[in-house]
Amino acid sequence: MGPDRSSGHLALEVSDLTVTYGPTAAVQGVSFSINEGEIFGLLGPNGAGKTSTLSAIEGLVKPGSGAIKVDGIDARARPGDARARIGVQLQSTSFQKELTIRELVRLYSGLYGASRSKSAADEHLAAVHLDEEAGKRFGQLSGGQQKRLALLIATVHDPPLVLLDEPTAGLDPQSRRQLWERIEHMRRSGRSVLLTTHSMEEAQSVCDRVAIIDHGKIVSLDTPAGLIAKHRDDPQVKKVARGEVTLEDVFIGLTGSELRD
Amino acid sequence: MTDSAERPITTVPGIGLVLTSLLDADLRVQLRNGRALVVSLFLPMVLMYTLGAGKRGALFPASTRLAIAVGVGITSVAILGYTATVARDRETGVFQRLRVTPAPTWAIMSSRLAVQLLSILVMTVVVFIVGGVLLNLTLQPGAYALTMVVAVLGGAEFLSIGQAIVGLLKSADTVNAIGRLLYIPLFALGIVANVSILGSTVETIARWSPGGALISMLAGAMAPATWSSDHWWSVLVSLAYSLVFVAVGIRWFQWETR
Repeated sequence: MGPDRSSGHLALEVSDLTVTYGPTAAVQGVSFSINEGEIFGLLGPNGAGKTSTLSAIEGLVKPGSGAIKVDGIDARARPGDARARIGVQLQSTSFQKELTIRELVRLYSGLYGASRSKSAADEHLAAVHLDEEAGKRFGQLSGGQQKRLALLIATVHDPPLVLLDEPTAGLDPQSRRQLWERIEHMRRSGRSVLLTTHSMEEAQSVCDRVAIIDHGKIVSLDTPAGLIAKHRDDPQVKKVARGEVTLEDVFIGLTGSELRD
Repeated sequence: MTDSAERPITTVPGIGLVLTSLLDADLRVQLRNGRALVVSLFLPMVLMYTLGAGKRGALFPASTRLAIAVGVGITSVAILGYTATVARDRETGVFQRLRVTPAPTWAIMSSRLAVQLLSILVMTVVVFIVGGVLLNLTLQPGAYALTMVVAVLGGAEFLSIGQAIVGLLKSADTVNAIGRLLYIPLFALGIVANVSILGSTVETIARWSPGGALISMLAGAMAPATWSSDHWWSVLVSLAYSLVFVAVGIRWFQWETR
């Protein structure tokens, strides 16, 4: 059965999602959708429910309730079909330390049903300028190279939806810009991206729309400029603003300024 | 990635391709894992030699020495090697990365178990070669084939125990500690069951322990003329242990450490 296109080419639909860990409700009734070719950001403080939402979409945790459709496929009823349509870059990616990066690309190509030939793997690596590192192990790469490899492996099967959990965390400005370019390249190719981030700069530069999530609930959702316009006059936002209201002011105004662990 | 806006509709890969990819990767990991090679080959060699040295040679005939060496090798692969690798990969997030692919979880685990069984077969062949060439420990031709079959059965028994340990315990450190604690009693009971130096109660307990059943099967397989109903009972006991422990290890296996 092919993907259901009747919903207007939505790459992802999440409806009333809840995720609980024992007595703790990490995600409480979250709903949003992502259009084809859209970059959607989930912005929230630590422990807000960003990674739990992503984990539910990826099938790593079982939602308590709610619906998830990936490219029209019910991810809870057909998890394998849904996973085949998703590319995932986890927050802290770990690969088998005994394998070279060429072998890792061949492994994951096979697991996603793409060609696992050596030449195909080398082509993929060349596309992200890692061809000269093909014989190295993942641990021997720099932080930026590791992120590039993780993103390559996430997209090795050309998925319609890519999930990126804090993709630029810990990167230097050059590597971050390079990664943004790759993400924008995906959008130009018609792929959709859901990314979580702590970086307001990233949300403003890359995302078409942003949802601010806190205590497991979406507190506001709009374009970055729309969020600023919508909340510019909120007393909490005005209180934390230093001059012209920024996305960071909106974020802190909506989620509070206390430290989160 | 392609530039085309016309993207392909991605489908679930065939299980053949998934298993080929996993087996290829797991075999490479196993071959490059120095610790696994040492625990699976070094200890059997040492025991095979030391049990035949001096007066001990009379207590441990050739078939028993080979049986103990193979038994220790199986215990090492399953209780020390397999559990440590699975616990490490779970803790570092390797399993998490594999689980977000369309590969079924049973395929991820089956590939690893298949590679461990292959390691056990390779270890058995190496023990035979070293035992035959360097220590003159030889068997009848049919005994070699029968021992290989029994090594797979014993391997399944001990890997299922390893699966239960790593399934029930989350922390890699705890898995390693428990593996080391259980390792000695598991194979020591196998040795005790085959020498009449302790009381009959201890011997009976040892005889039907996982290690006792394994060593009994191996000793029988290495001397097919002596194969009796006792050895068939060992096969049944070994199968029962395999079923119980693998059920526990799969039912309660925790894919993440959180």
